[in-house]
Amino acid sequence: MKRIMRRTTLILIFALAFIGGIGFFSFELIVNAGSWVDQPYNAHVSGGNGLEQAGAIYDRNGYVLAETQDSDRIYNDNISVRKGLLHTVGDNSLNISTAVQSKYRSQLSGYSLIWGLNMPKSMRNTHDITLTVDATTCAAAYDVLAGYGKKGACVVYNYKTGEVICSVSTPGYDPADPPEINESNESEYEGVYLDNVLSSVYAPGSIFKIVTSAAAIENMPDLYSRTWNCTGEKEIGGHTVTCTEQHGEIDYKTAMSHSCNIAFAEIAVELGKDVMNSTAKKAGINNSYEIDDVNTAKGHFDVTKADENQLAWSGIGQYDDAVNPMQMAIMCGAIGNGGKAVNPTYIKDGSGDLLQLIGFKKPDEFQLFNGDTANQLNDVMRYTVSDYYNYQRSGLFEGLSVCAKTGTAEVGEEKAPNAWMVGYAQDEDAPLAFACVVEDAGYGFEFACPVADAAMKAAAACLRGEG
Amino acid sequence: MPDLSIIFDVGVVALRILLPVYAIVIVYQCYAAMRRRRRTEKPLVTLCNMKTGNVIPVLFWENSIGRSKSSDVVVQDLAVSRNHCVLLRRSEGWFITDTGSTGGTFVNGVPVEGRAQVLINDVITIGSTDFEFRRGDEFQAPLKSSWFFSKVSDKPAIRPWKLMLMVTLFHFFMAVEAMFWNDGTNVYAPIVLFGALAAVEWGFFSVSYFAFRRVNFELESLGLFLTGIGVMMLVRQVEKSAYVQLIAAAVGMVIFCVIIKLIENPDKISRLRFPMMIVAVLLLLTSILFGKITKGAANWIFIGPFSIQPSELVKIIYIFIGAGTLDRLQTKQNLLEFIIFSVVCVGLLALMGDFGTALIFFVTFLLISFMRSGDIKTVILAVAAAAFGVTFVLRFKPYVADRFKAWRHVWEYAQAEGYQQTHVLTFIASGGLFGVGVGNGYLKQVAASESDLVFGLLAEEMGIIVAITIALSVALLVIYTRAITTRSRSTFYSISACCAAGLLVVQLSLNVFGATDLLPLTGVTFPFISSGGSSIMSVWGLLAFIKAADERTYSLKR
Repeated sequence: MKRIMRRTTLILIFALAFIGGIGFFSFELIVNAGSWVDQPYNAHVSGGNGLEQAGAIYDRNGYVLAETQDSDRIYNDNISVRKGLLHTVGDNSLNISTAVQSKYRSQLSGYSLIWGLNMPKSMRNTHDITLTVDATTCAAAYDVLAGYGKKGACVVYNYKTGEVICSVSTPGYDPADPPEINESNESEYEGVYLDNVLSSVYAPGSIFKIVTSAAAIENMPDLYSRTWNCTGEKEIGGHTVTCTEQHGEIDYKTAMSHSCNIAFAEIAVELGKDVMNSTAKKAGINNSYEIDDVNTAKGHFDVTKADENQLAWSGIGQYDDAVNPMQMAIMCGAIGNGGKAVNPTYIKDGSGDLLQLIGFKKPDEFQLFNGDTANQLNDVMRYTVSDYYNYQRSGLFEGLSVCAKTGTAEVGEEKAPNAWMVGYAQDEDAPLAFACVVEDAGYGFEFACPVADAAMKAAAACLRGEG
Repeated sequence: MPDLSIIFDVGVVALRILLPVYAIVIVYQCYAAMRRRRRTEKPLVTLCNMKTGNVIPVLFWENSIGRSKSSDVVVQDLAVSRNHCVLLRRSEGWFITDTGSTGGTFVNGVPVEGRAQVLINDVITIGSTDFEFRRGDEFQAPLKSSWFFSKVSDKPAIRPWKLMLMVTLFHFFMAVEAMFWNDGTNVYAPIVLFGALAAVEWGFFSVSYFAFRRVNFELESLGLFLTGIGVMMLVRQVEKSAYVQLIAAAVGMVIFCVIIKLIENPDKISRLRFPMMIVAVLLLLTSILFGKITKGAANWIFIGPFSIQPSELVKIIYIFIGAGTLDRLQTKQNLLEFIIFSVVCVGLLALMGDFGTALIFFVTFLLISFMRSGDIKTVILAVAAAAFGVTFVLRFKPYVADRFKAWRHVWEYAQAEGYQQTHVLTFIASGGLFGVGVGNGYLKQVAASESDLVFGLLAEEMGIIVAITIALSVALLVIYTRAITTRSRSTFYSISACCAAGLLVVQLSLNVFGATDLLPLTGVTFPFISSGGSSIMSVWGLLAFIKAADERTYSLKR
């Protein structure tokens, strides 16, 4: 009997192993429960009336963007606000995964480790969230952008605080009356669930000259005394590089303001692959930024395998260059802020312990340019607006001293170019950086500029109105 | 006028917090009752060394006597063999059996052949040592008792019928919850099912109490508590299978009673061994010849609406044949028979090709080999085990590889191999500590949620506290089984009980950790809770071994 007793140690070990396993699982549960709950198939939060328990979403001025009334989800009463903020707020379908309502739905519904998703009604403390966006600005930007009927994006953010004031993506739809997307209309709604501000990349075209400029400022001591000769096209590395105009004899600042391709193509070739790669890397082109639990789409710049002609094209934002709108706004904001970027955020405040639940923390700061480089870029980008853009359009960015650059990126034969405009305002009371892009459109100045103009004016009015 | 909805809400909250507490109380009461009504730790008889006057207490029903240090009675005499003889207590009195010693064993100078009765004041001669066989109450020195039984009063912890009432009430609360959470169809189904369940529970209780006149019902109460939870969980899932499960459980209880009756006399078990082996082989053959092949495994036989996995029942027979009384174990009787039987079973299982079953059988084989083997036997059995293992790996390799692919990476395969586990984790987290209510979960829509993933279903609907309490209540059977090991009436009972308890824990681990991605998903059932007719029958069969190992089962009558 004693022998049998001794052998029972084996089953005792089994039982202890089981208890240990339960302990380990409990630990895993406590640590990960929040993310386990957040699954698209979890019918306790999504599905039919999944948002009936979710709290309200407000803009920075307290306007209701979405709230639950009698178990119905109600959105803002202005259709432009609804459509403009669709990708930021989200809709009932939760198809837009980067929207607040999708990514924080369990926190908005009052998830707790103790009660799971079934907190008794009388104890339920639903969480409301206040976003940094301004409904009016978003509506204004959306109306202009949607007027083209193209895919596009426009983002404006405060480069001192990181607060995103305006974030608009097209195509959109009305969350209060979502379309039934079927075979007949799916081309119209292609990519509709994607927030182009965060999740898309585009060929940059001439806006990339900002990066090439940064490389030149840091590596060409005689930059400001040099001149280039533009005859409208030039053979570099066995193939032609073309320019939009014949600029003739042209210095660096004018080449920037008039966006001369020849000058920048030659600068890129002269600086060489390594300098271009390292400057692009430092400017964060290949980075993905984490913004409120969403990672932005990664830009791309790599000329390691490029030939001379491709290197030339890469310097003016063609070749296989790609950038993300939010990333461009961050880069421009850094220039306006003396080289230091502030990571953007959409979250201003939350009721109860919401901010803690979603793990909100103060936006990071990081250096993208040297202070001196930033100052020189600031000069030349301001010059671009004051010397050139202001003469092209009266009342452009009225009331703001904006530094900017447009871009017109060729994307192939079948499509019209991507129209870009990126930049920022120098004003102390409106430290705003922006990036606008319209796909398959035309000249940056013609298409992106009006969107940027509307968004910046409205955003500045919003900030100034707050005193 | 107070707001009624708030009162109602507070009531629901209170109920949801109390239910887990109630579950813990029930499990505690079951285990507390297992410790009570025990004889105190004192020797049954003593052996007095006539030369030295040294008194050795004899503590167990079956005692090995020999020179080996692991013997129950160690005799320091070079003329004594390592495993000399076995002293047994039976209802007819005390007996001694010589287990192939070199010097032989003598009672009052007469050599022992087979089994010889020993009376008080008889002289037992082992080697050159003489012992006088004396009464146990002459031994006064205190003895150390297992912690499980120490410092326990003799009064019952709770009257059996009160414990059963608590269990039934718990199931009633589950029925009420299931009535509350419904899709509007058949609101009263849960209460009807509860009626049937209560009838089975109290029917079983009455049979035990009045027909068998047993005093103790705590192990059965625990089994009924768990079985009832499994049945009630099914009511909002597949109502029909709830009744199938209940019927199967009732059959399981009959099997439970039959097994306890069959093995009442440990010496008569050997007569049953051969017929049992034939039955086992026939059962396995039936499932190979007539079994319906599902997922490449021919493991199921369909008889009308019922599906049976014969291998589940063979598991019980296997333990039955593997265990033996101490004198038989020590003389290596039936060892060859057991090995041949093992090889046949292995061969038939390999033909069948069901991963979960083969795994469980392998564990059973290892457990029983380990529990019964001592020296040379270990080697032989280990060789057989290795052969088993190789067959196992060759047979199931592609299948195993597939299961391992998603293991610990379920979120990367959330739409494929990890589909079931990710859903389990999500819904466990959604349930929180107290659950969303019986019938109100969503995991029930996932395939196999009532069997392979039942831990997730429990946690989602009844909360993680109840789920873990239930899992632990099964795992703790090991502690109980271990505590009663040396108090069993024969090694047959202690070996079979330990194998049964070990097997339950292994099944439990594979099920719970498989569903929660701590182990690969193997499709093994959660004892008592998982839906599955043959599973619940075999679990009740296993429970019979544990019940039989408790000496109170046969000795204590009302």
